[in-house]
Amino acid sequence: MPTLFEETALPKGKPVKSQHQSSVKKPSTMTPLTCFAVNPSGVRFETQEEDEEVVLFLRQHLIVNVPWVLFSILFVLIPPVFFPLVLRLVHFPFVIPAGYIVIGTLFWYLATVGFILMNFLRWFFNIYIVTNERVVDIDFVQLLYKQFSEARLSKLQDISYSTGGILATLFNYGTVNIETAGESPNLEFESVPSPERVVETISKLNQNIQQSPL
Amino acid sequence: MTPSLPIIVSFIIKALTLLGLGLYGIFAVVMVRQEQLMAGVLEEGFEPILRLLTILHFAGAVGIFILALILL
Repeated sequence: MPTLFEETALPKGKPVKSQHQSSVKKPSTMTPLTCFAVNPSGVRFETQEEDEEVVLFLRQHLIVNVPWVLFSILFVLIPPVFFPLVLRLVHFPFVIPAGYIVIGTLFWYLATVGFILMNFLRWFFNIYIVTNERVVDIDFVQLLYKQFSEARLSKLQDISYSTGGILATLFNYGTVNIETAGESPNLEFESVPSPERVVETISKLNQNIQQSPL
Repeated sequence: MTPSLPIIVSFIIKALTLLGLGLYGIFAVVMVRQEQLMAGVLEEGFEPILRLLTILHFAGAVGIFILALILL
């Protein structure tokens, strides 16, 4: 069973300033399929500051991968099931050379692996991070396009979430909308697990930031 | 008896097949490069395995291209 939730104690009080940073490296609590982790260890991201701690690490819910996984299974089954059927039913006016059948089959499976890898990479690197200082949204939209957005906790104005649909209700995932003040872009955490806990955590951190002395 | 393809048609199909495999090789390279870039954005522990998989995928693309040159 893949790990959906990883949780250790939430930081309490004012924004946590690196209480745990020491020369001893904590073992990673992350697995490749983790999509919701509270205070994870073993995670670092680009532009992370020395005294910045990851409080929440999120990916889209695993269930969003089901369509491409089903397609992949179908693609794997097509050469042994569908191709012989076509060759038996359709009579080509010429002989298909054996080399083309070999290369075609090998390429089909390679392309299926490529399809799986591309979709997994897109899910794996599409991440949302909440630290004790800011909210970060890293999008890996397509193979050639990535987007890095962030907003300081002090700039957050309104945090809300929405869920809808049978799957979202069954598996408890939804979209968290984060509105920011000023020129910072609004952020959207799409299809994240337990959106209510995400909103609650960000709100608490935001309150801590507001209450902490300058 | 079923006739085989005329030589000119066979040559065109072979050229197109190699072109398609070559383009797929470029796609595989892009995937390796993009994984490297994204691994710089997020360090989480699983990236070396992903890198290995993308490199193996690229190696597979090169292998099939070479095999096509030999077999077709």
